[in-house]
Amino acid sequence: MNIRENLLQMFKQAGGEFISGEEISRRLGVSRTAIWKHIEEFREEGYVFEAVRRSGYRLVFAPDVMIAEEIKVGLSTRVLGQKIYYYPSIDSTQNKCQELAKEGAPEGTLVVADQQTEGKGRLGRVWHSPPGANISMSLLLRPALELQKCPQLTLLTAVAVVETLHEFCGISAQIKWPNDILINGKKVCGILTELNAESDRIHSLIVGIGLNVNTLPEHFPEDVHGIATSLRIEKGEPLRRVPLLQQILTRLEELYDLYLAKGFAPVKKRWETYAVTIGKKVTIRTLQGSLSGYAEGIDESGVLLVRREDGSVTKVYSADVEIHG
Amino acid sequence: MFKIHEIREIIKLVDQSSITEFKVEEDGMKVVIKKGGSASVSYVAVESAPQAVPAPQEVPAPAPQAVPPVPAPKTEEAPAPASQTAPVAAEPVDDTGLHKITSPMVGTFYKAPEPGASPYVQVGDKVKNDTIVCIVEAMKLFNEIEAEVTGEIVKVLVEDGQLVEYGQPLFLVKPE
Repeated sequence: MNIRENLLQMFKQAGGEFISGEEISRRLGVSRTAIWKHIEEFREEGYVFEAVRRSGYRLVFAPDVMIAEEIKVGLSTRVLGQKIYYYPSIDSTQNKCQELAKEGAPEGTLVVADQQTEGKGRLGRVWHSPPGANISMSLLLRPALELQKCPQLTLLTAVAVVETLHEFCGISAQIKWPNDILINGKKVCGILTELNAESDRIHSLIVGIGLNVNTLPEHFPEDVHGIATSLRIEKGEPLRRVPLLQQILTRLEELYDLYLAKGFAPVKKRWETYAVTIGKKVTIRTLQGSLSGYAEGIDESGVLLVRREDGSVTKVYSADVEIHG
Repeated sequence: MFKIHEIREIIKLVDQSSITEFKVEEDGMKVVIKKGGSASVSYVAVESAPQAVPAPQEVPAPAPQAVPPVPAPKTEEAPAPASQTAPVAAEPVDDTGLHKITSPMVGTFYKAPEPGASPYVQVGDKVKNDTIVCIVEAMKLFNEIEAEVTGEIVKVLVEDGQLVEYGQPLFLVKPE
């Protein structure tokens, strides 16, 4: 941890009590002037400190900002999110993460933003997100995996988010194949993954997650009204994003480790628990046309199996899925 | 390479017979037909060896087909087979000395970053090792395929939105 992270951690551990400038200076090994400067910087981010002569400083309020220090303090992961780049506003966290990947950033590097101006969806669709309300993140992975297996990680990510929502927010969410996350049939989270690889070696696999946390109904653009929702809408109260993000990273790391050790089978089982697509009549839409059938399940690689009326089974690798009843 | 009517014929024969499984391999293309025993489900899994130009029967066909498990009609538009000894090719391409850019995974082929955008590469374009030539998507994982060769694109072998198999040739490149 760097000085800013250590400083924030000290204040958080003090639980609102005063810490003297002298003590901070001694424990961090920096001058009192340096400490004052760091505290001023935190104030600019929205933190509120009380400073009292002879007593020192105490943290009165920590805002829900996704700056690196706020995420790092209290994050229990080993790899994921150990290096964080935060931007108040950025075109796309995916683009930034790709740039960092090319520069050699390590596995687990996280790019988060308060606002994305060109958030990416599937097939060039736009992912809408008003400033300061949601989690827009991209996570860099560098798995030593067969390329063919990489799509499984998109299903894995969905499991991590759904389990976090359940445990952390008490919200029961479902997965629409392959990895859209729905609450009461409305989309709350989109996951998009970009792979850069040579035929036999993965350079980077960047997992992008857009989670609607505190968006209000009036903030959704007209074209997604009725099909999108946020945690705030579902819960009826705003949520802090940072602890949620920490929990997603923790759960994702746990599942990623499990996957690398034991393969897709245990992840698949958990995915099936939350799947809303399976056992339903569905319409599959692709650039080349559409078909309807009964969603039987996924195979051991994560591919959707759709049984047609004639009894034949079609494997679906990528499509928009519409669920009927 | 099998033609669609041949596969259809084989399926009929298997269907009428008492055998439950049938495999055949020719020119790097493998056809496996399984009957689901007492269940009514039967399906074809066409797998391809790396050199083959497979029939992407998993591509959702626009309309339900009367004959259950036959490859989608796309087979007939499939690009010229890799091997020149293959009996039939809609449009034979002399690929002697040409480099094939192949798909590293099963998925949907996209020639452009988004529908309506200009394609990553077209015939006549010069590519370098790290030039992105297309995207292959599976389960919302987007794989940007790099040329991994320096040269000129001489043929695009697949259609936008088509399902491609592992190892399926996507482009022919005249190396520099």
